[in-house]
Amino acid sequence: MVSLWEIAGLAVVASAIGAVGGLGGAVLLVPALVLAGLDPEAAAPLGLLAVAAGSLAASPTHLEQGLVHHRLGLTLEVAGGSFAVLGALVSEAVSDTALTWVLVVTALVAAVAGGFRQGLRNRPMSAFSAEPPGEWPGTLGGAYSRDGHVVPYRARRLLGGLGLVSAAGAVAGLAGVGGGFLKTPAMSEVMHVPVKVAAATSTFTVGITAVAGLAVFAGQGRIDLVPGASAVVGAMVGGAVGARLQDRLSPVATRRFLAIVLVAVAAALIVQV
Amino acid sequence: MSVPPEPRRRRQSRLIAFLRIAGAAAFVLAVVGVCVPGNAGRSAALLAIGVLVLAPVVRTGWLAVRWWRRGDRGFALVAASVLAVVATGALVAGV
Repeated sequence: MVSLWEIAGLAVVASAIGAVGGLGGAVLLVPALVLAGLDPEAAAPLGLLAVAAGSLAASPTHLEQGLVHHRLGLTLEVAGGSFAVLGALVSEAVSDTALTWVLVVTALVAAVAGGFRQGLRNRPMSAFSAEPPGEWPGTLGGAYSRDGHVVPYRARRLLGGLGLVSAAGAVAGLAGVGGGFLKTPAMSEVMHVPVKVAAATSTFTVGITAVAGLAVFAGQGRIDLVPGASAVVGAMVGGAVGARLQDRLSPVATRRFLAIVLVAVAAALIVQV
Repeated sequence: MSVPPEPRRRRQSRLIAFLRIAGAAAFVLAVVGVCVPGNAGRSAALLAIGVLVLAPVVRTGWLAVRWWRRGDRGFALVAASVLAVVATGALVAGV
């Protein structure tokens, strides 16, 4: 039997990591709860509650820093969310083990791509020094503040990003995970969006994904209220801490942190096989 | 003569305020849900989860309306589409 304190404590850690890397954290929390002795059927809704709570807690800090690109996040979420629904509909026809291995390989490829990349793609430009950090209306571009300088950026390879997020959504729907751990690398490594913006934007969109999943669990009567509240308390603390921690990390450190977490995610997925 | 404030610096201040209030409400309700036994605690926990579910939906709807009013119609439709996808997913699941 897992105590409420244990649930809250694990949610703090998973949500803090999730907020730094834009992962959501369910992919870490659910295996941790199962390893602690909770039934997987009960752990999955707690994972989604933690994702929703962590996303909400991190949002004000990310918005104040001008890191969230709503237009990019919602554009990708249309594709990812649609394919997640389709994936969930056909999930019973596909082997869980095969899907998990697909996720493991994807997480490891993303970890290698981000972790070993040197340097920064987006550089500060003095012409944009008066530009407030944030997204630019009507575009998939924007600017963010790094070390006191304004760094403009623009999402590239939209079709590639949409394709990858769609595939991630389908796999996520098939496997019953949120897919946040695939969205941040897709935005950062494929679309060349700064990793901090990608992580903050992903933290926003995983909150939406969690809502859809929670609706499903509520319909199935699988949300246990008191343990759920305990996960919410922990995840809100973790989400707020993670958002502030991300502010202190450099983009390169954030990318390396994300790579390490992706390897941990792959390990957590292997444990579940 | 003082320089007028950059309007885009405050463009999401209401959204930030809303998210702070929603977050604080969800946290307090969840703490009550954990600490208070019986139906009162369970009701508070249920309300906390309700706040968590509604916050991103309201946020996305707010963005859709704001973008539509400001002529950013393409992205307003994208935001509305996300809400439609979420609603479809919930309906397909039988809620």
